[in-house]
Amino acid sequence: MADLGNILLFFLFPVSVFTALTALAAGITKRRGLLEAARRGAYAAFAVTTLAVLALEYLLVTSDFSIEYVASNTNFALPLFYKIVALWAGHNGSLLLWTWIVTIFIAIVAYQHRHKNNDLMPYVLFVMGSTMVFFSILSVFISNPFQTLYQEVGNTLQEFTARDGHGLNPLLQHPAMVIHPPVLFIGYVGSVVPFAFAIAALITGKLGTEWIHTTRRWALTTWGFLAVGIILGGKWAYVELGWGGYWAWDPVENASLLPWLTSTAYLHSVMIQERKGMLKIWNMALVIATYLLAIFGTFLTRSGIVSSVHAFANSGLGPAFAIFLSMGIIFSVTLLLYRRKDLKPDEEMESLVSRESGFLFNNLLFLLATIAVLWGTMFPVISELFTGDQITVGPPWFNNIMIPIGLALLLLTGAGPLLAWRHTSVETLKRSFGWPILGSIIFIMALYAFGIHDGWALGSFAISFFVMWTILVEFVKGANIRRKNSGENFLLAMYMLSRKNTRRYGGYLIHAAMVVMFVGFTGNAFNSETRAEVGEGDSFNLGPYTFNAIQITEAQTENYSSQTLELEMFRNDRLISTISPEKRYYFASEQPSTEVDIYSTLREDIYAVLSGMSNDGTKVIVQVYRNPLVNMVWIGAFIMGIGTLFAMLPNLRENKAGDK
Amino acid sequence: MNNNKLKFVIGSLVIIAAVIVLAIQGMQEDTTMSYSKSVSEVQLLGSRAYAMTLKVNGDLKKGSIIRNNLDLDFVITEGNSELSIHYIGKDPIPDTFNNEMDAEVIVSGKLQKDGIFHAERIQAKCASKYEADYSSPEI
Repeated sequence: MADLGNILLFFLFPVSVFTALTALAAGITKRRGLLEAARRGAYAAFAVTTLAVLALEYLLVTSDFSIEYVASNTNFALPLFYKIVALWAGHNGSLLLWTWIVTIFIAIVAYQHRHKNNDLMPYVLFVMGSTMVFFSILSVFISNPFQTLYQEVGNTLQEFTARDGHGLNPLLQHPAMVIHPPVLFIGYVGSVVPFAFAIAALITGKLGTEWIHTTRRWALTTWGFLAVGIILGGKWAYVELGWGGYWAWDPVENASLLPWLTSTAYLHSVMIQERKGMLKIWNMALVIATYLLAIFGTFLTRSGIVSSVHAFANSGLGPAFAIFLSMGIIFSVTLLLYRRKDLKPDEEMESLVSRESGFLFNNLLFLLATIAVLWGTMFPVISELFTGDQITVGPPWFNNIMIPIGLALLLLTGAGPLLAWRHTSVETLKRSFGWPILGSIIFIMALYAFGIHDGWALGSFAISFFVMWTILVEFVKGANIRRKNSGENFLLAMYMLSRKNTRRYGGYLIHAAMVVMFVGFTGNAFNSETRAEVGEGDSFNLGPYTFNAIQITEAQTENYSSQTLELEMFRNDRLISTISPEKRYYFASEQPSTEVDIYSTLREDIYAVLSGMSNDGTKVIVQVYRNPLVNMVWIGAFIMGIGTLFAMLPNLRENKAGDK
Repeated sequence: MNNNKLKFVIGSLVIIAAVIVLAIQGMQEDTTMSYSKSVSEVQLLGSRAYAMTLKVNGDLKKGSIIRNNLDLDFVITEGNSELSIHYIGKDPIPDTFNNEMDAEVIVSGKLQKDGIFHAERIQAKCASKYEADYSSPEI
């Protein structure tokens, strides 16, 4: 099976090269036959890679420990489910998954456009095909997952089969970690589709909004997947890593945030191009940047150039990625410069206080956020280059910049949709903003009276309140107008209104989700924690809570041994819950693992970690965090997913004549 | 340049300037900036080391971890150089950090005048799995 997998994977390389080159030839000669051949190449690449993935799955499930990847990432006792998902537990398998998603997308695009866009398609397939060539080189020649195990016997290398595997890293044995990589990968890889169409538009000179319309759903889908993937990563870090937080401005986290920032900017600025014919070069640049940052993110994650707590193996892929990235940058920038005269705006900006300028400031802020995150992430490399010292900037640096930018963006979220296109008069401003602003002022005065005195938090809550108000007003006002005309009840009117312009109202839903998430982020301002060494019968306090250590138990399963502390949690002398943080020791991987226990409510999370044992073994060290409002982050992410799906629904068309 | 464009450019410049100020301001605070050094490099720094926030990487000296109530002390090494660490941070220490394991450790904090490094944060990396021994091929 390993040989078969190897052969299949090896085929992918020539098939990819064939697809890319025939597609390019089809573009130059404009011959339909060649385009058809390239399309078949895309299908073949998909088929071959799918079979290779199945072959690897077979090896994983049957625990064939003659294969290095299988031996390194699974063991006999591992549950079947985790054997299957071990496909993306290690480096080589993840790369195969990446490659597979690329081939899935190229096949889908080839099929979707089999009868249309014949002028763009050759170059689309060429660009996607080239990406495929690159990843097939990595998968086949540099990080082959079908590599067998070798050992030195005398002077020769001999293949051998390990008696048992090393097992799956315990940190990865969590549901969020199971779906986080594929979701994020889909987000990363998806950026290739808008990119391919943008490049095709640049090459062919068909620079209208055709490529934008064609890729709108792709752009939105991949944006949504990126967002959800990032949050799942945060959720996993929160539940699994045991340091009480979900985001630490770690290079790997930043790498996933970068393409999300540029693609969010694009989703906004593209509206100006569709409406006013402005920002054409800018939109192209954003689509290109998103793709390149996605590749860069993979590079950052996999090359070990910036050290990260995620500690992926340094895989020696650095040079290959560096070459591919530079080629991508040079190629795209050259094309963009070559076409710059054809990308002149149709109209000029008319007023500072208008929807357009709202979008422009939105884009400026997203751009600055991207640059700041990139700068901070790469600072160890930059500083070493110029001063010889490797200097790391910590989370406070990122927070110092990103909190103001984030709040400014959130404010625009509320203000932007209320501004009219072209120009907004002072009268309209007063009418739209008066009540929401007054409302938020009263709201934060109330919060102040309740004892919240942190300036940033008050600012954030005020803005959140303001934005939520403006969004609700949009829905309510629209529904009321519709109700008067159609006689529908209020809820139906609101639904019909949204269904008739899914993009707009889906967008509002995503904005509302962002507000909910920001409320969650703001909770960080009120985090508190305590650490205690306890034996059975001891107790300690955190805020209004008292914790009693009931007992320390030890247990053993086939996969791990564990130690559990049972804590009773009281608030005002009333028993609220029992929480049991646990420490496990996995036999196969010889790794300990912390299993936190969280008592979670809408208001706050009580998060307990068993962090170790005292030297004499009679007491344990426990750390308890009190994290207000964390759940808002996950709820917001869920709403965001719904909003994204809603925005992708086709608009409902009403047949006016048929109305009764 | 018309009036509107000018207003927009000025507005943008104000925002850009504000972000740059925030970036520079953040870099002035020494707690956010840490210098990555190895154990032997720290010793070469001499007295300059006391003023810097350092991120020191080295190998955990086996058996050097001493816990006393909530206190934690250990030693990291690089070749013949050693550095004593006293943990003053609040976060739980990582799973990979214990006396039995070969772990590469990164500590962030400051070197004190008595030569003991006060660490606020500990990160531990497990020795690469690929170098670990597999069970023998017989059977």
